[in-house]
Amino acid sequence: MSSRELEGYLSGQPAQLADVLERVLDKGIVIAGDIQINLLDIELLTVKIRLLIASADKAREMGIDWWEGDAFLSSRNGRRELEERLRKLEEAAGLPTTSQEESDR
Amino acid sequence: MSSAATEPLRRNSVGWYLYGVAAAEDASTRVTSPLAAGTEEEVELVAEGPLVGVVSRVSLHEFDESVLPERLSDANWLEQKIRAHEQVLERVLEDASVVPCRFCTVYRSEAELRRFLSERRGALEAALDRVRGKVEVGVKAFIDRDRFAAGLAKENDDFRELTVHVSTAEGGRAYLERRRLEQLVASELEGFRGEAAGRIHARLLAAAEDGLALALQAPELSGREEEMIFNGAYLVTANRDAFEEALASLARDVGGDGVDLELTGPWPAYNFVPEELGAE
Repeated sequence: MSSRELEGYLSGQPAQLADVLERVLDKGIVIAGDIQINLLDIELLTVKIRLLIASADKAREMGIDWWEGDAFLSSRNGRRELEERLRKLEEAAGLPTTSQEESDR
Repeated sequence: MSSAATEPLRRNSVGWYLYGVAAAEDASTRVTSPLAAGTEEEVELVAEGPLVGVVSRVSLHEFDESVLPERLSDANWLEQKIRAHEQVLERVLEDASVVPCRFCTVYRSEAELRRFLSERRGALEAALDRVRGKVEVGVKAFIDRDRFAAGLAKENDDFRELTVHVSTAEGGRAYLERRRLEQLVASELEGFRGEAAGRIHARLLAAAEDGLALALQAPELSGREEEMIFNGAYLVTANRDAFEEALASLARDVGGDGVDLELTGPWPAYNFVPEELGAE
């Protein structure tokens, strides 16, 4: 996975978007610039973006590639559809795992 | 993308997007040259006394308060701008220490930007002093459940016995035994998480100038299926040999318990600059 693995830890991989977001959105000096996103907006934004990444990755795991086209995320309809799918994923994630276990038997 | 009719006046207005602040003596024109090719944004240094602002001229049509909320809800736009913000600062970091600004800090004029740099000079220099010659690195710790369980079986007779049962039992009994083993592993893991996270943080802190724990990331965010048990940020000297040595030694120590460490960075010291500049 990485050239540094032999030393016992992983390094040198391209920055994950989540790590970049964690810093650029949440941290760094806050200056009263003339134009600025207020902190509450940043918090909402952070949550929203994290959900966007999370749902895209989850979908990738599941072999769904609906988000791949450029038009998708940038289009309004696409976003609505994404939000709908995200809601479903969240609901699914909130369910107890009993149905999974039953299907294992 | 948004309708031009709503913002006809500001269409050609220029804003000054401030990425961060560096010392004039450290930041060279080299900082800006290769960037222009790599990113859409042309990066400039605006010198004011001993400080330079690392900036790009941006269209207020794109960044003004009235259009920003809409832009921010465009995931493509946002990712592109956030990555650009980070890339510019990383490039500066190669040559100079930098105080990173938060995403989307924009001035309406060069005069306003210069006024900020000169009026807040003291606080900016103090922030710069703290990160001079240093960078931020991230360390994440993940636990591999199977290796953790194997480690338990090695140390604990009951676990070993149960593990053997699970591998030999059949049918419904196998299911029950497997469930019991899973529950035991889960309950052991409960205490281990916090204990291991504390141990990891203490060891790394000893090899760093400063450090703090960040929020844990879910697998969807971390990109790894193993559970993240620790996410830390450390301020370390730009030469990271000592820190990486400590990290490698720590990785060997916790590896037996199924813990893997992942290093990220070097980052601009986002986590080690004041969130707000004190009033002057």
